[in-house]
Amino acid sequence: MLLEATNVSKAFGNFLAVAGADLSVEEGEIIGLIGPNGAGKSTFFNCLAGETAPTTGRIVFAGADVTRASPEAHARAGIGRTFQVPTTFTDMTVIDNVMVGAFLRHPQRNDARDHARRIVELTGLRGDQPARSLGTPGRKRLEIARVLATGPRLLLLDESLAGLTPAELHDAITLVRRIHETGITIVIVEHIMEVIMTLTKRVLVFNQGHVIASGTPEAVVSEEAVIEAYLGRRHRRREHDG
Amino acid sequence: MVAVQVIVGGLLLGAIYALFSSGLTLIWGMMNFINFAHGEFVMLGMYVALLVVVWLGGGPPLFGLAAAFSLFVLGVAIYLSLIRYVIRGPMLAQILSTFGLALFLRYSAFFIFSANFVSLPQTSLAGTIRIGGIFLPVAQLVAGVVAIVLTMALHVLLTHTGVGSKLLAVAEDRAAAMLMGIRPDRMQMLAWGLSAGAAGIAGALMATAYPWSPSVGETFGLIAFVVVALGGFGSVLGSLYAGLIIGLIQAISAFWLGAIYKDIVVYGLFVALLWLRPQGLMGKA
Amino acid sequence: MAAAAGPDGQSVKPQRLTLTLLAAALLLYPLVLTNPFYLDIGVTFLLAAISASAWNIVGGYAGQVSVGHSMFFGLGAYTPLLFYTLWGWPPVAAVPAAVVLSVALALAIGLPTFRLTGHYFSMATIAVAELIRIFTGTWNLVGAAIGLQGPARARGWWDLTFRSELPYYYLFLGVLALVLATTALVERRRFGFYLRAIKASERAAASLGVPVRHTKMRALVLSATFTSIAGSLYVIKTGFIDPDSAFGILVSVQMVIIAALGGAGTLYGPLIGALILVPLQTATNSLFGGGGSGLTYILYGGIIVLIARFEPGGLYELWHRVAPYLRRRAHAA
Repeated sequence: MLLEATNVSKAFGNFLAVAGADLSVEEGEIIGLIGPNGAGKSTFFNCLAGETAPTTGRIVFAGADVTRASPEAHARAGIGRTFQVPTTFTDMTVIDNVMVGAFLRHPQRNDARDHARRIVELTGLRGDQPARSLGTPGRKRLEIARVLATGPRLLLLDESLAGLTPAELHDAITLVRRIHETGITIVIVEHIMEVIMTLTKRVLVFNQGHVIASGTPEAVVSEEAVIEAYLGRRHRRREHDG
Repeated sequence: MVAVQVIVGGLLLGAIYALFSSGLTLIWGMMNFINFAHGEFVMLGMYVALLVVVWLGGGPPLFGLAAAFSLFVLGVAIYLSLIRYVIRGPMLAQILSTFGLALFLRYSAFFIFSANFVSLPQTSLAGTIRIGGIFLPVAQLVAGVVAIVLTMALHVLLTHTGVGSKLLAVAEDRAAAMLMGIRPDRMQMLAWGLSAGAAGIAGALMATAYPWSPSVGETFGLIAFVVVALGGFGSVLGSLYAGLIIGLIQAISAFWLGAIYKDIVVYGLFVALLWLRPQGLMGKA
Repeated sequence: MAAAAGPDGQSVKPQRLTLTLLAAALLLYPLVLTNPFYLDIGVTFLLAAISASAWNIVGGYAGQVSVGHSMFFGLGAYTPLLFYTLWGWPPVAAVPAAVVLSVALALAIGLPTFRLTGHYFSMATIAVAELIRIFTGTWNLVGAAIGLQGPARARGWWDLTFRSELPYYYLFLGVLALVLATTALVERRRFGFYLRAIKASERAAASLGVPVRHTKMRALVLSATFTSIAGSLYVIKTGFIDPDSAFGILVSVQMVIIAALGGAGTLYGPLIGALILVPLQTATNSLFGGGGSGLTYILYGGIIVLIARFEPGGLYELWHRVAPYLRRRAHAA
C-alpha cells in the first residue's frame, strides 16, 4: 500500500468539509477522484498534498506518517501535486521552471539542468521559451513537467486537464498515460468524464465530505447513489417512473 | 488622582487610534493588503481641519465632515488609480505602491506646511472640564467619545446593514461573493473610501486636542499597525479594544518612563506580538 | 531575468564584453575625472550601489520587501565607532562584530515573520528600524541624539582615515565587486533558483520541495551581512554617525528606490539605479539648496509609485520590453 488515508476529517470552524474519508492506493495504480462541487474533494486533496492538516485521521505514505507533514516534506518524501490554476513562474524560462523541481534530487546545477532537459523533452515543451509566453495548455503541461522533475512516486493531479480543446485534451491524456507507464502512481481529481473513463482503473466518488462509492469507472457511474449526488433525488425518482 | 487622569487621557487618545485603525483593518480583512500610507491619511485629515478653520472659519462639525468627505474621495481615487492595478501584481509592487505614496504625501505636506508643529485655533471645544476629581480638556473628551461612537458605528455598518454584509462577503470569499452578484471591485473601492474617511475624521478629531506636524503620519501609521496586529487583522471590534489598550499603554509608559519611551514601548509591543501572537486578540492571521 | 543562468552559451559573449567595459570604466573613472567633486560622486555612487545590491538579494530576488533595511546599515555604522569610542579600536577591526550583530537581528526578525504572509515582514522591518532609531537617540552609551565620531587623525594606516577620497573609491569598488560576484554566484546555483521561485509563488515552491522559510532566512542573512558592511564603509569614510543618518527611513528608501528603479531582482539593476539617482540627487541638492531634501523625497515617492504601478521590473524590464521593438524599427529603416 503506497498511500493510505484513514478516517480523514477537516473542519473549518463549524463547517465539516471532509467527514471521515478513506483512501488507499497501491503502487502503480491510477485512481480517479470525482464528485460534485463542494463535495469536499478539493479539501481532501489538499490534506493528501500536505497543504492543509486534517482535523482527525491519519495519512501514511510508503510506511511513513505524513498526516501533518509540510508540503515541502511531502515533496521530499515523493508526493508531487499540481495546482488547479497553473502557478507558473512567469519571470523564468520553461527550463528554469523545471529546474526548480529538478533541484530537489539534483542539488548540482548541471545535473539539475540535464534532468530538467530530459523532462522538458518528454513533455514536449521548448526549454528556452519564456514561461509567460505559454498559453493555458502549455502552462498546464509545464506544471506537470515541473513536478515530474522532483521525481515523485505518487503524483496528485488537481483538475489539470480542465479547459482544454479536444485535441489538447487528447495530448494531455497521452502524457498522463506515459507518465503512469514510467511507474508513477497517480491520483486524479477530475470533472471531465472522458479522462476518468479512459485513464483510471478505479474511481472514488466524493459527496458531502466522504466517499460514497468506489469501483471501476463503468460500475461507479451507473450507481444510484452517484447519480443522485450529481443530479439530485428528483432525477433518480424520475428515472424509476419514466 | 494623577493616575486616573493618565488612564483616562490614554483611553481617550486610544479611542482615536481605534477609529483610524479600524479603517486599516477593514482593508486588510477585505484584500489582504496593508496600506503603508494610512498614517498619512490621518495627517491629511488634520490639515484639512486646519484649512477649514483658517479659511472658512468653520467649527468642529464642519471640519469633521470636510475631513471625512475629502479623505473618502482621496481613498476612492487612490483605489481606482493605483491599488486595483497593483493588487493583482507582485508583492514588490503592492508594498512599494503605498510606501511610495506615503513618502509622497508626507514630504508634500512638509513642503506645503513646513515641519513646524501646529494646533487648531480656539474652537467651540476650548477649555477644561472637571469630572470626578480630574481635569480634562473638553476637546480631548469630545474627540475620544466621538471616536468611540464612530468606531462602533462602523462596526454596526459592517455587521448589520446590507452594504456591510456585502463588504464582509467579499472579505470572506471573493469568488462566492461574485456568484451572488456582488461586485468585489465596487466593494473594495467603497472600503478604501471608508478606510480613508475614517482616518480623515480621526485626524480632525485629533487636531482639536493635540498639536501636530507632517511627521505624525509616520507615527500614526506604525501605531495603526500595532493596533491592527493586536486587535486582529480584519476585526473592527478588535481594533476598538486594541486601540484603547495601546492608548492606555502609551499614556502609562509616558508617565512612568518618560515621554520618549511612549513610542518605544508601543513598537516593542508590536515586535513582541509578531513573535508571540501574530493573529492578535480577535482576528484571523 | 537571470541572463547568467539562462540557456547555455547563448548570451555569454555580449555579456562578457559589457562586463569588461563596465569594469574598465569603474576602474579608470577616478584616474580620468580627477576633480575631487567627481571623485566624491563616484564614492557616493559606489556606496549606494553596494547598499542597493545588498538589499536586492532579499528584496529583489526573494521578493521579501524590507522597508527598514537601514537597521542593518545602522548597526554596521554604529558598531565600529562604538568600539573605537569605548576601547580605541580601529573602526575597520569591528566590522566582523557589526556583521554578527546584523545577522542576529536578521534572524530575530525573519524567524517569526517568515512563517506569515509577506506583509508582516515588511511591517516588521519598518517598526524595528524605527524602534532602534528612537532607542538609539535615547541611549547615552552610543551618544544619544548626538551620535558618535571616529578617529579625527590617523593613528596608523589601519584607521583608514585618508585625506583624499581615492583610496576609499577603490576600497568601495572592491566591496562592490564582491557583492556583485556573490549575487552572480547565487543566481547560478540552486539557492538563486529557489529565491526566484519563492518570489513568484511560495505555494508552488513549497510543493516542489523548496524549503521556503529556510531559504528566505538565508537570503535575509546574506543581505544583512552586506548591508552591514556598507554601513561600516560609510562610517570609515565619513567618521561620524547619528541615529537619523544610521537608522532613518530615508536610508532605507534610498536602497529600495535605487534597486527598484534599475530593476529589482537583476544583477545590474542596482547599478543602473545608482547611476541615475546619485547624480540626480547631487544635482537637486545643489539646485534646491536647503529645502532640497524635501523635494527630493517628494520626487522619490512619486517615482516609487510609478514604478509600482507601471513597471515593477524597473528600467531593466522596460528596456527588455522596448528594445526588440526598437531593433525592428532600426532594421526596417
